[in-house]
Amino acid sequence: MGAHPTALPEILRGTLDLLVLQALSWGPAHGYAVARWIEQATGDALAIGEGTLYPALHRLEERGWIAASWGASENNRQAKFYALTRSGRAQLRVETDQWRRYAAAVFAALDAPAVK
Amino acid sequence: MAKWTRFRRLFGLEPATDVEAELAFHVEMRVRELIEQGETPERARRLALERFGDYEGARQECVAINQRRKRHMQRTEFLTELRQDVGYAFRMLRRTPAFTAAALLTLALGIGANSAIFSVVHGVLLESLPYRDAGRLHHLQMLYPDGTKYSGFSAPDYMSMRQDARVFEQIEAFDIAPQTLTGIGEPQEMTTGLVSAGLFDFLGFNVAVGRTFLPEENRAGRANVAILSMGLWQRMFGADAKALGRSVTLGGRSYTIVGVLPAEAQLPYPAEIFVPLEYDNTFDAGTARGRRSEFLATIGRARAGVGAPDVEADLRRVGNQLQTAFPESNGGLTFTSTPLREMIVGDVQRPLLVLLGAVGFVLLVACANVANLLLARGSARHGELAVRAAIGAGRARLVRQLITEAIVLGLVGGVLGLVIAYASTEALIAARPADLPRLDEIGLDSTVALFTLGAALLTGLVFGMVPALQATNEHLLSGLQESGRSAGGGRRAHRLRSALVVAEMALAVILLTGSGLLIRSFVELTRVNPGFQPDGAMAIRVTFQGEMYKGDDQIRNRVNDIEDRLRGLPGVTAVAAGTVLPLGGLGALNNFAVEGAPPPPPDVNQEIAVASVTPDYFRAIGTPLQRGRFFTALDHEKAPPVALLNEAAARRWFPNQDPIGRRIVSGPGPREVVGIVRDVLQRNPGEPAVPQMFLPYAQRTTRSVRLIVRAQGDALALAPAVRDQIRSLDPNLPLADLVPLNEMVARSIARPRFYTSLLTLFAAVALALSATGIFGVMSYTVAQQSKEIGIRMALGARTADVLRSIVGHAMMLAGIGVVGGVIAALALGRLIRNQLFGVNVFDPLTITAVIVVLLGSAALASVLPARRAATVDPMTAFRS
Repeated sequence: MGAHPTALPEILRGTLDLLVLQALSWGPAHGYAVARWIEQATGDALAIGEGTLYPALHRLEERGWIAASWGASENNRQAKFYALTRSGRAQLRVETDQWRRYAAAVFAALDAPAVK
Repeated sequence: MAKWTRFRRLFGLEPATDVEAELAFHVEMRVRELIEQGETPERARRLALERFGDYEGARQECVAINQRRKRHMQRTEFLTELRQDVGYAFRMLRRTPAFTAAALLTLALGIGANSAIFSVVHGVLLESLPYRDAGRLHHLQMLYPDGTKYSGFSAPDYMSMRQDARVFEQIEAFDIAPQTLTGIGEPQEMTTGLVSAGLFDFLGFNVAVGRTFLPEENRAGRANVAILSMGLWQRMFGADAKALGRSVTLGGRSYTIVGVLPAEAQLPYPAEIFVPLEYDNTFDAGTARGRRSEFLATIGRARAGVGAPDVEADLRRVGNQLQTAFPESNGGLTFTSTPLREMIVGDVQRPLLVLLGAVGFVLLVACANVANLLLARGSARHGELAVRAAIGAGRARLVRQLITEAIVLGLVGGVLGLVIAYASTEALIAARPADLPRLDEIGLDSTVALFTLGAALLTGLVFGMVPALQATNEHLLSGLQESGRSAGGGRRAHRLRSALVVAEMALAVILLTGSGLLIRSFVELTRVNPGFQPDGAMAIRVTFQGEMYKGDDQIRNRVNDIEDRLRGLPGVTAVAAGTVLPLGGLGALNNFAVEGAPPPPPDVNQEIAVASVTPDYFRAIGTPLQRGRFFTALDHEKAPPVALLNEAAARRWFPNQDPIGRRIVSGPGPREVVGIVRDVLQRNPGEPAVPQMFLPYAQRTTRSVRLIVRAQGDALALAPAVRDQIRSLDPNLPLADLVPLNEMVARSIARPRFYTSLLTLFAAVALALSATGIFGVMSYTVAQQSKEIGIRMALGARTADVLRSIVGHAMMLAGIGVVGGVIAALALGRLIRNQLFGVNVFDPLTITAVIVVLLGSAALASVLPARRAATVDPMTAFRS
């Protein structure tokens, strides 16, 4: 698992919601599955402080972007599953667009020549 | 992941448990994965928790979010459902206009009557007096050895009390006296308040205009300023500020107007104009003079935290001190006090609360009636409720919806009730006897509105709860199958409706008994012989003040002249003057003793009411002489002192003796008793005449007299001529209180008349409502049993049998109600015992009448449905 950062990288804090929405865009999943997806997709950015995932999930639920329900997990245990709602899907599109534009702007800036 | 659809519940358990389970699942999954990767269980657990980070922080944050969310959802859900229920309720009410109209009318009457009576109770009893720290104000009184209280204080006793009493922060006093106001328009008699130096400040009064009295203006000779009441300022000066500084003549003395009191500033006994109480040399705590000349209403404010026993003890202590210091004047006398509020509203408190209770019963009857209507409708709605239950509405949800309907009904009824209350409060104020205290405090304010709202809500709950539980009680699904049956609702609902009718009947019996007893008392009161002839006589008050009437001679001569003039008017049969009127109060009280008789024991009150009358007084009021003679013109001021006694006085001081020719001592010097007159009622027909002594006006001349004119025909028609005659002798004489003598009788029974009419009205409403109730239940029974009745008729039952069975059932219900009601009425009877006169609570006549009226109305109310039953055509009944 490599070197453990002491905390969630600052840049990821603001993007955790986006990552969760993205994780759920493939279908309903419980919290642990979301954590595993983020772990694999980001090279274990959450390594320490996975716990912060849960308040994020609950806040998204409160906003109505995801809906929760209890069901049986793959090993037949009771787990809380989250699914994107219609408005959550729309929110994901909005946030993805924002991020792409933001990233493009940052990259463009990094590649730009010095001011004459 | 396909199994995610296996939802067990839409929203989890308690947020805390939910979060705990979710987080534990995460950690457990991680541990399992680490073990699969080859870690030992202990190490796996440690690593998993390490990865998780701040477990407790995350848990708490999640719980907080979920709780917030849950609360929000519940609130939203509740409001949504409430909106739905209310909307649904209004639709339902619109769909059944007859039911809605009947229910709303019943409720509006019940709630409106309650609000109206409550507004009176609130204004008169509950609202505090408009004085600073009113709760600590006490009205100080003299206490005689026999326990009688007298509300007047003498000036030296007042000063002694101020000096020696320890429990009071401050003691102030005033005197209310009629005074002649001249100098502005016609001479008028003004109720004048003579106030002590600190009284206004003590009560918390500020002037609205001008200035208040200065302390030195109470000194002898300095009391020459006056303050107007707001009413007088507006009436006499059109609220003109120029009134300040103007001079008015009051009782022959000149005063400069310096201020105006605001409208709400009023003494416990209202006055129109105020002047400083002049402190003459009897305003001295050390003097022995004037101690038995009582004229001051004295009010003290108890120190904070001082209880009633402390006040009593301190007043006794001062009384005992004065007994020692002034044995001549204060022997046997001491002091007591009554809270000012009680002094003002004490004797109306009980009757008003009884009325409030009675009107509460009316509301209960109204509730029972509407509950009955709802029960009947509940049966009709059985099918609808069953459908709603079938599509998933729980019982609680249905109950809530039905209660919402009831409360909507109650609230709309309450709004209509407020309209009724507004109208009837106006009518109450108009109809109430003028002597009911604190008239101005009555009105529909926010407290009354709140009371109405509360009553409406509670009413909705009371009459909505039972039918709601009842309607949802049975197997609603079975109702779905039976919904075609006309007799839905079943036996239980019917029993409940019968029970409600019985309760209504019982309440109606209680109210009818109460009103019956009051009516009987009232009749008894009107039957009491007043001892005079009220019809054909009128009285008017004349007061002699000013330069022309310095001495008693001048006053006497003027009274003689007036009498002579009035005798000359056409149709006049008798003219006289006197200091009291029949049913006009006791007037002055004097000590009384029979010359030569042993001194009375000190604990017996030896007082007698004293009045001065001119020779024709008893002919004018129509009171017969029992023995001896009336006064004549020969009983003048220089003639030997004589007196007439009433029968009560003769009985008291001369039991089994002839008082004629005996000498009595009352006031200065002995007098000879020359005659006995019939007892004349002094206060009201409920209070027998007390001992009274009449003296010739010539031998005891007063400044204010009532002139009584008896004439053939309508005495009141003579009033303008009487005024003209008096004015022609002296245009400056103030004439006041013109009253026909029969009006005195009406006034004396105005309060019982008021209570009796209200209670009778309530009883009538309750009777009508409960009769409607029995009518409803019997109609329903007949409808339900029409098939059975048809069979019986087909099998040969006669119409009379059917009638008898239906009416008999109604009579049984009424009978149970009557028995319960009579028992309750007897138990509650003591509440109105003080209002009864000539009957007691167990009056057989009243109780019999009530039973007859109630059973009769029940029979009437059931005959109509019974007749319908008896005309049932067997074939139609079978086919239906």
